[in-house]
Amino acid sequence: MKRIILPLIAMFFVSNLVAQQDSKPSKTQFMIRGYGSAGFQALNDEGEKESSFNNGTFAPIILFKFSDKFMFETEMEFAYENGELETALEYANAMYTVNKYITIRAGKFLLPYGTFMERLHPSWINKLSSVPLGFGHDGIAPSSGVGVELRGAFILNGSRFNYALYSTNGPTLNDGNDEPEEAGILHFDNYEDNNKNKSVGGRIGFLPFTDSSTEVGFSFLNAKVGDKDSNYKDVSSNLIAYDFSFVKKVNSLGGIIDIKAQYNTSVTDDAIYIEVHEDGDEEEYTFENSSDSFYAQLSYKPTMSASNFLKNIELVGRYSELNTPEGAEWESNVNQTAFGVNYWLSWRSAIKVNYQIADGTGGHGGGRIDNKIFTIQWAFGI
Amino acid sequence: MKTFKIVSIIGFIGFATISCSPERATIVQGKSGVQLWSETCMRCHNTPSPADFNDADWSTIEMHMRVRANLTADESKKIFDFLRSAN
Ligand code: HEC
Repeated sequence: MKRIILPLIAMFFVSNLVAQQDSKPSKTQFMIRGYGSAGFQALNDEGEKESSFNNGTFAPIILFKFSDKFMFETEMEFAYENGELETALEYANAMYTVNKYITIRAGKFLLPYGTFMERLHPSWINKLSSVPLGFGHDGIAPSSGVGVELRGAFILNGSRFNYALYSTNGPTLNDGNDEPEEAGILHFDNYEDNNKNKSVGGRIGFLPFTDSSTEVGFSFLNAKVGDKDSNYKDVSSNLIAYDFSFVKKVNSLGGIIDIKAQYNTSVTDDAIYIEVHEDGDEEEYTFENSSDSFYAQLSYKPTMSASNFLKNIELVGRYSELNTPEGAEWESNVNQTAFGVNYWLSWRSAIKVNYQIADGTGGHGGGRIDNKIFTIQWAFGI
Repeated sequence: MKTFKIVSIIGFIGFATISCSPERATIVQGKSGVQLWSETCMRCHNTPSPADFNDADWSTIEMHMRVRANLTADESKKIFDFLRSAN
């Protein structure tokens, strides 16, 4: 953690000095924004019921703009979970616009791997109080990385394109040495690289219509993931995502239709892992290490309604599924359906009432997954 | 899987080429800040009103959104000029 915070603080002071050397007075602008959520949840897990107030999270964001070209953003996340306060650095990076078409970012940033993590996960943007399967904890899609990135957008004969290309420390392979039940899983949050090989990833987005209503995107991430001093040093992973977005005010329907979808695949080279039996015997095993996940979400907000109440209501439905490798200790096949009714108090604050059903096999318990969750969440941006 | 990848990449490029045309270019270039504001921001989140922030804040947000949302420089300038003129 220190390894990244110290250089970033240094970068901040140096850039501040650079900004002040301009002959004009300092134009540094500073903004504290952020978002948070609080909620109530009732869980029915295979007939066992429990309910609690939970999910208290707060994520302050600090933005410093030094000049028209140079800016710094950072987000911390505080979550109160199971009686403990957890903190995390979501991102901290500096960005510099080289010209109209190229911006360079360095530090820890949300990865443009598909669109969910980079654009849609903050609680005041996400239309449901949970994330789709495949993202977040135990997910197969990376959320952030430490490295450098080039990004930008351009219009070519009436079509908008945007791109991002980055190199980060990349994911690491859990070889099962310490946690045999996680052998073969990728970890994404790495401040230090476990090998000299940096990951390379990127995304290209394309908006085919003049009204920007539709965007399709293709993302990839390639990396050597094995530890350089281990038998796994040549193991690589290849991740690919496709995303889709359609958002349009449809007059005949009296409101905004919003469709979002993303498909992720993750393929890691075959490797031999070791299973330790209860009697201490060791056995080698392998499996085809490929996972995928998918989600599609449809929402509707009757923004053109004459009623002030209805105008702020939004209906959401989302389906997601996650399939992890057959033969792995973490094998699972789960699908989840979520429905929600949101009431928007402002453009950045909503009360979300959700009902979510998960069904499948696997996961950490290894058995059947069958749960229903009812949640009420208040999400707010400041 | 490989064929799927190849087909989708070719499809993507083909679609991209077909959809680019001079008439469309004129439509897109002719869009005003208000129009772009009403079409762009809602792609990800509810659209903020001009009055939600002052000029200084809008220009910080301008850079933040231009980079995060990967907006083109020209379009983001039009949108945020509009937001600053109407708050
Ligand atoms: C491609 C997705 C996307 C688009 C398009 C987009 N935004 Fe955002 N916006 C975001 C995300 C993601 C955040 C949250 C940033 C965070 O919390 O890290 C955000 C945050 C904001 C905030 C809160 C302050 C801040 O800078 O974090 C404002 C204000 C805002 N957007 C305004 C706009 C306006 C105005 C437009 C239209 C020109 C727009 N956004 C278009 C994704 C988008």
